[in-house]
Amino acid sequence: MDLTNINPEQVLNTCGLTCPMPLLKTKKSLKGMGSGQILEILGNDPGSKNDIPTWGNKNGNEFLGMSDIDDGVTRYFIKKG
Amino acid sequence: MASKTLFSSVKEETRKNYIAIFEQDWPVWLAGIFIAVLALFIFLWDSPWGIAGGYKNWGNWFLYAVGINEKKPFVPWLHPMSMSNFGIFAGALMSALMSRQFRIRQAPPLEYAKGIIGGMLMGFGAVFSKGCNVGGFYSATGMLSMGGIAMMFGLGAGAWLGLKYLLWEMENITIKPMVQKKKKGPFMGINWDKVQPYIGASIFIAVIVVFYLYSFVDKTTLGGILFFGFLIGLVMHRSRFCFVRAFRCPFMTGEADMVRVVAMSLMIYGAGSAIIKWAWLKEPMIGVHHPFLFGSLGGGLVFGIGMILAGGCASSTLWRIGEGHLKLVMTLIGFSLANSITTKILAAYELTDKLGKGIFMPDIFSWPITIPIFIFFFLLWVFLAIWNEETEKFVIF
Repeated sequence: MDLTNINPEQVLNTCGLTCPMPLLKTKKSLKGMGSGQILEILGNDPGSKNDIPTWGNKNGNEFLGMSDIDDGVTRYFIKKG
Repeated sequence: MASKTLFSSVKEETRKNYIAIFEQDWPVWLAGIFIAVLALFIFLWDSPWGIAGGYKNWGNWFLYAVGINEKKPFVPWLHPMSMSNFGIFAGALMSALMSRQFRIRQAPPLEYAKGIIGGMLMGFGAVFSKGCNVGGFYSATGMLSMGGIAMMFGLGAGAWLGLKYLLWEMENITIKPMVQKKKKGPFMGINWDKVQPYIGASIFIAVIVVFYLYSFVDKTTLGGILFFGFLIGLVMHRSRFCFVRAFRCPFMTGEADMVRVVAMSLMIYGAGSAIIKWAWLKEPMIGVHHPFLFGSLGGGLVFGIGMILAGGCASSTLWRIGEGHLKLVMTLIGFSLANSITTKILAAYELTDKLGKGIFMPDIFSWPITIPIFIFFFLLWVFLAIWNEETEKFVIF
């Protein structure tokens, strides 16, 4: 999927936070979103590269993809189910 | 077919294996098997694997340096657990460098505070349970010590409480994320990403050299402990193996993967240790000193809260430091100091032996019953976790 053209409804910045905070905050943000809306998560914890994609496909949600950007930061996209 | 030289063939095969080993994550179930086997090697080589004793040694040195401890502690490079801790750090650091994942990772101020406090709680709890999540739970259980099971329940309860705090914090305290920095140009003209693997390789060579140096001065056991620790650190970092997840995830996301892995790893460790002890290759009561019931249970509870706040247990603190996380450096400092000070206080008030006593499972259940009960107990844990994964019965958020 082409991640450059995604327009997320919300962007969550978790840079500097380590396990489990990025996933906890992701879960909290998604709870407050409507079905079909897209959440973008920015994070630089290497553990999130497994945690967010794995969890992002559960509970009817869809993990759309991730891409690495500057200085160790990764962008993740989850679509609420 | 174009002719290939031996050199080009070796180069290609090395490149493929490098990618498989250092650029792809290892499956965590494989790490569970490796860790159990390495723990058994350490047990046969010297004594059961533990971590808190090494942290305490480092804490004792600090207290000695500032004049609080009068007695000079054992030097770290001759202390077995200190050596295995160095090994775990070195293995994880090498793994991070070889996979180009090492960087200095800063955190917001509140995260540093949680790191120190979490470390202090772990250090405090580890004194009461006479071991951390490794020595007091994983190795204790592997050695068929009832204290390991008691600590397991404490860790679960502590993880639940720690998670409750994190949820409260998320609702009530705003943590400003770190500002994203633009990628800098080469530092001092050096491309850091290209240099990292070479530094990693030199760490591996250094560990091998140190092993042979220890052998040369008739301290082969210590050199071997360093090397086994190195392998554990490498395996843990490559797979991101973390005991904390086995206790936290069932309450946080419902995921049961780490429960499956830790249970399987414990079954291998326990079975191996049972064979070794039953055959008297090692004396059966080795590694069975954990204070059952209340020392292990209470210590596990406090340790469990601490590991959630810190974001890592005793073992994952070491491998995350190897990856560059400064928050976990704070955790290590808090753990070491608290463990050292609490040990002194408990000894001063003569409380050390009043927390419970070491109980060997076969002494209660007999050898023929112990192994089936052991396996049944951990299968029960796994099935409970799988049921929770499907129903989210115990998920608190």
